[in-house]
Amino acid sequence: MTPAMIKARNVQKYFGQLHVLKGIDLDIVKGEVLAIIGPSGSGKSTFLRCMNFLEEYDHGEIWLGDELVGYRKSANGKLAKDGAARIAAIRTRMGMVFQSFNLFPHMSVLENVIEGPTIVQRRKREEAIEQAKALLDRVGLSAKIDAYPETLSGGQQQRAAIARALAMNPEVMLFDEPTSALDPELVGEVLDVIKSLTADGMTMVVVTHEMSFARDVADRVMMMDDGIRVEIDAPEKIFTNPSHARTAEFLQRVLR
Amino acid sequence: MLEVAWTLRCLMLHTAFCVPYLGRGDIEKAPPQFMDYTWHFQIVWEYRAVFVRGAIMTAQITFWATLIGLTLGLALGLMRRSQIVLLRAPAATFIELFRSTPVLVQLVWIYYSLPILTGLQMSNTVSVTIGLGLHAAAYFGEIFRAGVNSIAKGQWDAARAIGMTYTQAMRRIILPQAVRRMIPPFINEFASLIKLTTLGSAVAVNELLHESNNLINNTYRPLEIYTALAVAFAVLIYPIIYASQRLERRWQLRQ
Repeated sequence: MTPAMIKARNVQKYFGQLHVLKGIDLDIVKGEVLAIIGPSGSGKSTFLRCMNFLEEYDHGEIWLGDELVGYRKSANGKLAKDGAARIAAIRTRMGMVFQSFNLFPHMSVLENVIEGPTIVQRRKREEAIEQAKALLDRVGLSAKIDAYPETLSGGQQQRAAIARALAMNPEVMLFDEPTSALDPELVGEVLDVIKSLTADGMTMVVVTHEMSFARDVADRVMMMDDGIRVEIDAPEKIFTNPSHARTAEFLQRVLR
Repeated sequence: MLEVAWTLRCLMLHTAFCVPYLGRGDIEKAPPQFMDYTWHFQIVWEYRAVFVRGAIMTAQITFWATLIGLTLGLALGLMRRSQIVLLRAPAATFIELFRSTPVLVQLVWIYYSLPILTGLQMSNTVSVTIGLGLHAAAYFGEIFRAGVNSIAKGQWDAARAIGMTYTQAMRRIILPQAVRRMIPPFINEFASLIKLTTLGSAVAVNELLHESNNLINNTYRPLEIYTALAVAFAVLIYPIIYASQRLERRWQLRQ
């Protein structure tokens, strides 16, 4: 069996007294597309944000390849928070796309996309621009490279944000409800772009409310509720014959 | 001699500024000597060199105080946002100390008391410049802090997600956006700082107000000279306000 690209073991997270992640285990192999579904407040976004340490988990371990995310293991097996530079470095290996796009409003689309490659990875500007143009072409934004984010529609902004994440040449892409802030008619264009990434064998974790997308695109679907991994299985199984009552109940509510 | 001049000047100011209030409510009946006042603005022109000299001093003090204020203010603003108490607490103390005491007291204190405590004697101009610089730093620090805090958390997330360190995110993503929001309060503070240089006259710094007072002592023409002083300040300050409004509008269009 191929070794896991992302490995989570007993990941727990508290917001003050609130226990939002109650011990999540997960293995994602290279090239896999995992959709995470579940009611709001179930901890799925928090778990995704723990993967690139935007959210610090309090217990357990998350591994990207053979690197522990966010912590260092000392000789006695205890975990100590990693240095800022190493945390930043491991984040460059994961691209992230947010619900609210979070493009940099003071930069043009092209500048948004080359910011990471030139400033963080210190690659040559010309090369970064060339790559950015190719990526923007791929997400259908060739005509908008010099536009500023606020002049773009939500769908265009999200596609630019995907290009920005891809420009880092990440090993994994993390999507945090990428279509939840979009008008219904713009959802399709963003999902199409995400779908097209599967053709390259990109490893992806997608937190989503788009059940049809989860069913059609994901290799596996993970159902979360109340900080717990309820079940994880192939989409056909989850959507037609879920093992847990909670999954069935949730799907009944959202698929009505 | 000096005392006579002072008394005279005070008397003249008294007549000029206070007496009219006695007749308030019935302007037509204002005592005839006010209607008869003859303005002698040629005196301002005659002594224009004094105003230019004062304006240069005012501009110099403002320039250096702003520089101190911006540099120290940025540091204070960032320190006050820090997670580390040892950075946050001193910054907060400094800012609140300077915000809650009168500037005049700060200037006089730095000029007279600091040498006693430290043995370090600075010239009146230098101590006023430093005093105003520290004062400005407290206010600029708050402007920086508010500006940085006003940037949506998602911008930090996005910057971190592409692997930026705190410094990179601050320099490339947060500050460029925050600075645009800081411009209006910054200009307010800057205009107020220019006017605060007049407090330098309390320790005999030859800025505009002090030069004007000296001139009044020689010419006994307070009304003309204070009018000219007001005009001089307006000439110094208005272009800055105008430029900032233009800049704001341009950035609004761009963003």
